[in-house]
Amino acid sequence: MASALRSPLLRQSLPTFRPQQLPRIQRAVLSTTQARRILPPLPQKIEGNVNDPARVPDPEPGHGSYHWTAERVGSVALIPMTIAPFAAGSLNPMLDGALIGLVLIHSHLGFDSVITDYAPKWRVPKSRRFLNIARNLALVVVGWGWYEFETNDVGLTEGIKRVWTA
Amino acid sequence: MLAQRAMQQSLRRLAVQHPALRLSTPAAIATGIYHQKRFAAATTISEATEHDKILARQRLNRPVAPHLAIYNAQITWYLSGLNRITGCTLSGAFYIFGSLYLIAPYIGLHMESAAIAASFGAWPLILKIATKAFFAFPFTFHCLNGLRHLSWDTTHLISNQKVIQTGWTVVALSVFSAIGLTLLV
Repeated sequence: MASALRSPLLRQSLPTFRPQQLPRIQRAVLSTTQARRILPPLPQKIEGNVNDPARVPDPEPGHGSYHWTAERVGSVALIPMTIAPFAAGSLNPMLDGALIGLVLIHSHLGFDSVITDYAPKWRVPKSRRFLNIARNLALVVVGWGWYEFETNDVGLTEGIKRVWTA
Repeated sequence: MLAQRAMQQSLRRLAVQHPALRLSTPAAIATGIYHQKRFAAATTISEATEHDKILARQRLNRPVAPHLAIYNAQITWYLSGLNRITGCTLSGAFYIFGSLYLIAPYIGLHMESAAIAASFGAWPLILKIATKAFFAFPFTFHCLNGLRHLSWDTTHLISNQKVIQTGWTVVALSVFSAIGLTLLV
């Protein structure tokens, strides 16, 4: 049966199936891939030529290794500071302030990675600059806000406890 | 060999030619009137610029990097993404509260902990549970997954097998501890 269907004679007598002849929409149904233009390419411009050496960024001790180490030190320091309020029930104002500071630095560096990943300098240079300024500004504003909360109110851990058990 | 090839090529060209040219082309060659005339270009475009233009146009036709959805769903990269999402959720809340508390007196908001606790306490129970779960899961997940990340930084538990095992462990632990924080505390 199968071989009868595959016979060259039968095939010649039947019209040939050509996907190219179908209307565009029907062709799209046949296709297994979809074009999703989330970030369509910008107008291209060629800088230099293929023989130019790759640009090496200026070495800066604040980036790279030290930055990485500082980030890890902050993360490790957060471990006991996170466990302590659960173990002791609360934190004294000094430790609570330290926790706020660590969370703030951790968030600041985290948002740095997010901005670096999703707002590349070559693609959206203006948004990148704006986001970096906003990030630094937020560090000051949020730090000040939490300082006010810490000095005028009950502080981070006690505040969460109060709302959580309300 | 070369002559044979040249002959073959010219015959092939003749074969595909428009019928009207089949006679006129040999005739033109025979009579010697086959010189092309090239007029000087009105505008000169440097070769390099023209070359770059073609390259730039070609680059627009290059395939765009595929969307995330084409990749196989794996615990490795799913939890990596979730780690960032949960981190941004917690940090976002921390940032929003900090800046709102600072400007609250100027816009007439009451952000004191007593006021927030009083209004939160008056919410319907289901809404309270939902809000607590919304913050509890990101908190437990980000804390526990952070330990995984720190262990990788010291090159421990970094084989594919271990990454998958610890991944599911963290999912289970963070879900259970989040439920505990939401319902029991």
